[in-house]
Amino acid sequence: MTDFDFSLSRRTMLMGLGAGMAALALPGRSQAQAAGGVLRFGLSTFPPSLKPFDNTGGAANTVKLSIFRGLMGYDGQGNLIPEVAESFAWEGDRTITFKLRDNAVFHNGDPVTAADVIYSFGEIVKEGSTAFLKADLAVIEKIEAVDDKTVKMTLKTPNAVFLSLLANYCSPVVSAKSTEAEVIGCGPFQLKAQEKGVFIEVAKFDKFYGEGQPGTDGIRFVAYADENLRYSALEAGDVDVIEYLPWTQFDTVEKSDTLKISTTSGPFMFLLFNVAKEGPLQNPKVRQAIGYAIERQDVVDAAFAGRGVPLFGLPNPQGSNIQLSDPAAEYSYDVEKAKALLAEAGYPNGFDCRLLATATYGMHQDTASVVQAYLGMIGINVTLDLPDWGSRVTMGTNGQYDIAVHGTSGTFNDPDALYSLLYSGNPSYLQSYGFKSERIDGLLQKGRAEMDPEKRKAIYQELYTAYYEEAPQIPLNWRTQAFGMSKKVEGFGTLPGFLNGSSGFVLDEAKLA
Amino acid sequence: MAGFLLRRVAGAVAMLFVVGTIVFSLLAIVPGDPAELLLSTGGGVATPEAIANLRTQMGLDQPLIAQYLGFLWDSLRFDFGSSIIDGSSIAANIALRLPRTLEIIGAGTVLALLVAIPAGTAAGLRAGGWFDVAASGLNALLTSVPGFVVGTLFIYFFAQTLGWLPAGGYVAFAQNPAQHLQMLILPAVTVGLHLATIIFRMTRASVLEMRGHDWVRTAIAKGLTRRLVIRRHVLKNALGPVITVVGMQLGILLGSTVLVEFVYNWPGLSGLLVGAVEQRDYPTVRAVILTVAAIFIAINLVIDILYSLIDPRIRLQ
Amino acid sequence: MSLVSRFPRKMILPSLLLAALIVIPFAAPLITDADPVKISVRDRLASPSTAHWLGQDEFGRDRLARVLYGGQVSLMVAFVATSIACVVGTLFGLIGAYFRGPFQFVTTRLSDVVLCFPPILLALLVVTLFGPGTGTLVSVLSILYFPAFARISFSEALRVSALDFVEASRALGTPSRKIVMNTILPNIAGPVSVQYSLTAAAAITIESGLSFLGLGVVPPAPSWGQMIRGARQFMNQDPLGIIIPCVALTLTIYAINFFCDRLRDTLDPKGSGAGKDATSVPSSDGAALAAAPDTVAEIRNLRLEIPRPAGAVPVIEEVSLTLRANQCTALVGESGSGKSLSSLALMGLLPDAIRQAGGSLSLRRKSGEMVDLGKLGPKQLEGLRGNDVAMIFQEPMTSLNPVHKVGAQMVEAILAHRKMTRDEARALAIRLLTLVGINEPERRFDGYPHEMSGGMRQRVMIAMALTCEPRLLICDEPTTALDVTIQAEIIELLQRLRHDYADGLSLLFISHNLGVVAEIADRVAVMYAGQVVEEGPATEVLTAPRHPYTKALLHSMPSSHEELHSARGDRLQAVDGAPPLPERRPSGCSFRDRCPIATAACAATRPPLLALPGADHQVRCHYAQDPEREAA
Repeated sequence: MTDFDFSLSRRTMLMGLGAGMAALALPGRSQAQAAGGVLRFGLSTFPPSLKPFDNTGGAANTVKLSIFRGLMGYDGQGNLIPEVAESFAWEGDRTITFKLRDNAVFHNGDPVTAADVIYSFGEIVKEGSTAFLKADLAVIEKIEAVDDKTVKMTLKTPNAVFLSLLANYCSPVVSAKSTEAEVIGCGPFQLKAQEKGVFIEVAKFDKFYGEGQPGTDGIRFVAYADENLRYSALEAGDVDVIEYLPWTQFDTVEKSDTLKISTTSGPFMFLLFNVAKEGPLQNPKVRQAIGYAIERQDVVDAAFAGRGVPLFGLPNPQGSNIQLSDPAAEYSYDVEKAKALLAEAGYPNGFDCRLLATATYGMHQDTASVVQAYLGMIGINVTLDLPDWGSRVTMGTNGQYDIAVHGTSGTFNDPDALYSLLYSGNPSYLQSYGFKSERIDGLLQKGRAEMDPEKRKAIYQELYTAYYEEAPQIPLNWRTQAFGMSKKVEGFGTLPGFLNGSSGFVLDEAKLA
Repeated sequence: MAGFLLRRVAGAVAMLFVVGTIVFSLLAIVPGDPAELLLSTGGGVATPEAIANLRTQMGLDQPLIAQYLGFLWDSLRFDFGSSIIDGSSIAANIALRLPRTLEIIGAGTVLALLVAIPAGTAAGLRAGGWFDVAASGLNALLTSVPGFVVGTLFIYFFAQTLGWLPAGGYVAFAQNPAQHLQMLILPAVTVGLHLATIIFRMTRASVLEMRGHDWVRTAIAKGLTRRLVIRRHVLKNALGPVITVVGMQLGILLGSTVLVEFVYNWPGLSGLLVGAVEQRDYPTVRAVILTVAAIFIAINLVIDILYSLIDPRIRLQ
Repeated sequence: MSLVSRFPRKMILPSLLLAALIVIPFAAPLITDADPVKISVRDRLASPSTAHWLGQDEFGRDRLARVLYGGQVSLMVAFVATSIACVVGTLFGLIGAYFRGPFQFVTTRLSDVVLCFPPILLALLVVTLFGPGTGTLVSVLSILYFPAFARISFSEALRVSALDFVEASRALGTPSRKIVMNTILPNIAGPVSVQYSLTAAAAITIESGLSFLGLGVVPPAPSWGQMIRGARQFMNQDPLGIIIPCVALTLTIYAINFFCDRLRDTLDPKGSGAGKDATSVPSSDGAALAAAPDTVAEIRNLRLEIPRPAGAVPVIEEVSLTLRANQCTALVGESGSGKSLSSLALMGLLPDAIRQAGGSLSLRRKSGEMVDLGKLGPKQLEGLRGNDVAMIFQEPMTSLNPVHKVGAQMVEAILAHRKMTRDEARALAIRLLTLVGINEPERRFDGYPHEMSGGMRQRVMIAMALTCEPRLLICDEPTTALDVTIQAEIIELLQRLRHDYADGLSLLFISHNLGVVAEIADRVAVMYAGQVVEEGPATEVLTAPRHPYTKALLHSMPSSHEELHSARGDRLQAVDGAPPLPERRPSGCSFRDRCPIATAACAATRPPLLALPGADHQVRCHYAQDPEREAA
């Protein structure tokens, strides 16, 4: 499904999953040659901030991954590998020891030490922190330096995705000498210049631990907020790579002699409901009826120019370790069934409601338009609300909607990545307003704490069914996410599935032919 | 003159106070929370705790009235503060962006003046002639094409189809003068095109009006050559209204380059403002609007002075 | 019939175009039965077909239906918003202008504040605030555009309420509301309606711009801006999608602008005619220039016409006049009698709209040579004007260019004909200013016309006319616009100059004021309806007039000397009626309609200008030598 156009194996690697199994990354970065040139990278938006621990969007994360790296990372196929750590070893399922790379050096020249690691995690969990993973990493009970290059962490509870959390773009290792104004990382590039709203330039860091890396002298990130412009810039040769290649241009790029494309089915679109509000949408049958009323292929065709895949059940990410399916817990396009469910719920003639989306993102608006049209066919009369993104988020958080369109991606390829979208203990605009299911919450918690793959699969299989039966969201489709790039660019491409937002890990591989 | 300036400056300050207050109040009731927005850019999830912490860092936990007084006090000291999103200096951001917006407006205006004044004069001098009919017709058509349509079509033809010019973007002049100028062409022409239609109309009408005045007949009766009559007794007089219109348009353009900057990805002041509105970066929004309003008022002042220089009958009061 | 004839012809085409563009969108259900919001994703971007004339858009919706219904939305938003802005703004303006004081302050300042916000920015903020939608759009546009209406109605109302009749009704105790409704409102309707159409066009542009940014009309309701936004992503594959709404948008704005332009022209026709810089070229009928040596200028058989599609209308017929050295010839008659035109013809200054259809004009140059104006090129005419013949005009207030210094205007006249340095020209100009009796000539030289009184400006005009020592000075009603005392001073000045100036000066003095004429003229020519009706020595014509018209003129003259000078009444009190318009002149004698002694013979043939036996005195009347009739 994923068409990778670079097949070179990035790193030889050993992966440890079981307790006590050591993993060793051999620094065998191939193609160690002095390439050069500056890669020009078209971003979809200017990173609002480059604070290392905050999640401020995909563009920021891509840039951050060029400057900062954490203990863990991903190879070109999306396999979890040690990054700043050289290896790790579990003792039981609550204690893990990381050995740091000898050659890992911060941009100020200092070696990366255990103290820096302890400092970094301290910053994430400290009082008043705005870190993305503050809640997740609260699982760390204790973190201590065994020696200068060895760190030992003890967890409060077992956590199946702990290593994935450490590979997140918001859990880098930064120097303990960092200040608010200048955060010192150890990534392949260092920040050289930036102009708010326009560009960020990073330059090759010569002492980067990856041998022969990075493959370019630097990267110039330029923001093109408008997708048509971003594509025009690529086509005109103003930039070498763009993120979020507009779906309408996939055909052109695929046929082009000079351009190529790298895609994955990463993010997905879904509907949320305000179930706190008295009315039909409190009834799961009505929500299911909506799930049956929509021809998902039309959403894919109209909003994503056909570049996506209909999604009928729990959005278990592509490349997930756990494969799930249950035809009985999946939707289809079935108007009769939708009408029957509506009638069963006591609304044979439908009802009126408001559908919240945003005019800021065309895909949200277009998805809403198609959904509106299909709901009209079963008698649900929908009015669109299309405020700008900022208002949309607030309205979502405050439950000022009946139905809402949303799209998102997780951060790693495991069903647990849906935790933040479905766990009611952490409400946000990404969840149906007022929705709470102890069954789903319990399954999520159980799945996270279970280390045995078989048992986890069983837990998530049950979640798959619960997702259909309780309908906390209605899935619509996977959307294909793509980088468009010049054929001169080698070694760069998207990571699969939910890791599409972590593709910045591959930036050190990129080269200009 | 000094009294005049003093009064005008006092008026401007009062005006800016009102503008600032309106903007502050508007922003206070606009939905959207900068902290939540920042931490959920691109569809991510943020914990309520992280959002609350960020709000404290941004100073948004203060009571509204305290924020307002702080804003007034800072504005009085010309201290725009820093962006609540990334902490960058707002004054520096404006200083960086403003010249670029002024650059496309300036380049567009020069183009417009170069084309529209001679054309408008020629049309006005031979009103009803073939040139006038052709130029006025074309002008009416061009006036009717909105700027974003022009921009979109320009990109389609000149950048994508013909490949003559870049589709948009910006490179500093110091970095690459040739490329800078290349990138300037389309936005400047787009801005200039609309301005030119207005200047053409105004010039033509003004020339036509001035031609009808008695002093023109006097000038001919004196035996001046036609060229002198036109230059000294028609064009010089016609200049006043044209300058007024150009000036007013410059003020309006300063805020209406939004679409042009958007279509050509030109990193000017409008882009800064639009971005700030999207991210709810309140201090930046306020500072940019105050800057634009101040420039608008200053331009009006300059026009008044300029007009009084051209037409001695206008006394500054 | 009467409606059609009253409807200005220039407005027909723009009105039809505008009406069509407004009606067509609202006739959408008659044109297509397609639903503008019905999607059919399978047929997205389909080419035009019989079912879908303009093809289908990115959702497979019918594009024709969308462009039509989109027009409804765009037009509705624009016109509703403009109407609100118009009503609110006009109200603000009227209240501010009528009640003044704090109302005026609020009105003007409020508009100023709104104008400080550039339109799109304001729109952006408000839309962000209230969310996009038709309601928001209408309110944004109303807020944006009401200041324009407030400003216009404010200044127009100020102007109108200062007018006499408003002051009068106020004095009579008419209620304020009534004054505003009945007198002020109708008077400001013109400018406000022009602003209305201007605003409507601008509102459509902004509406589409906001919809283009996704801040306008909410889908699936179509709007043109939104269609452009949607089609933009596909413009490579499907240019038609973007062209259709662009054309619809442009065409509509064009129609409104077109309408607005014509409306402005119709309401305020000034500026549509030719300017005063365009002159009609003199012609020559080739008659020999056999003039007596003391002839300064000669008009022979002059015929001037206004070319009209229905045939040329004569304005001057058979006018002959000989001006002699050191003589002052007065040309008298009511307004429209052709006296000014005759003099302008002699300067080669005829308005562009008037053609010389016959006769000849000749002038003696300072060199002594007699030239036929019709045979000179434009360059030679320029060399003649201001040099051999100069002219001063009726309105000293407008005859000088307000933006140039007085001195500069004199110097340019000198340098146009004489080779000298600027300093010499300056010295000459100051000498002339002194000569015409201007105090502090140096200071005045560097002053602007608006700093001087009317009398002083007329002196400047005279000084300017004298810069090149012309032989002939044409004075076109030089004192009419001035106060009585000033009139007398100017006349005195002209008298003095005639005798003292250089080699002497011939004057062609045009006036309807016989009192002034009596003081200055050697000879008098009386004109009526484009013809000279009586011509002869001033004493004879003024004391023993032979033509009934001349008699009537003299009759209507006030008796006392004081009143004589103030006689600005341009009408004949002794005779009923007014001079006929050029195209309505009666057959035969043009004066017969108003003539107390007219007979059938007067209607049958036009009387020739005949000399009285034994006198240097000519009269154009069948009964000039009939003592009996003369007594009447």
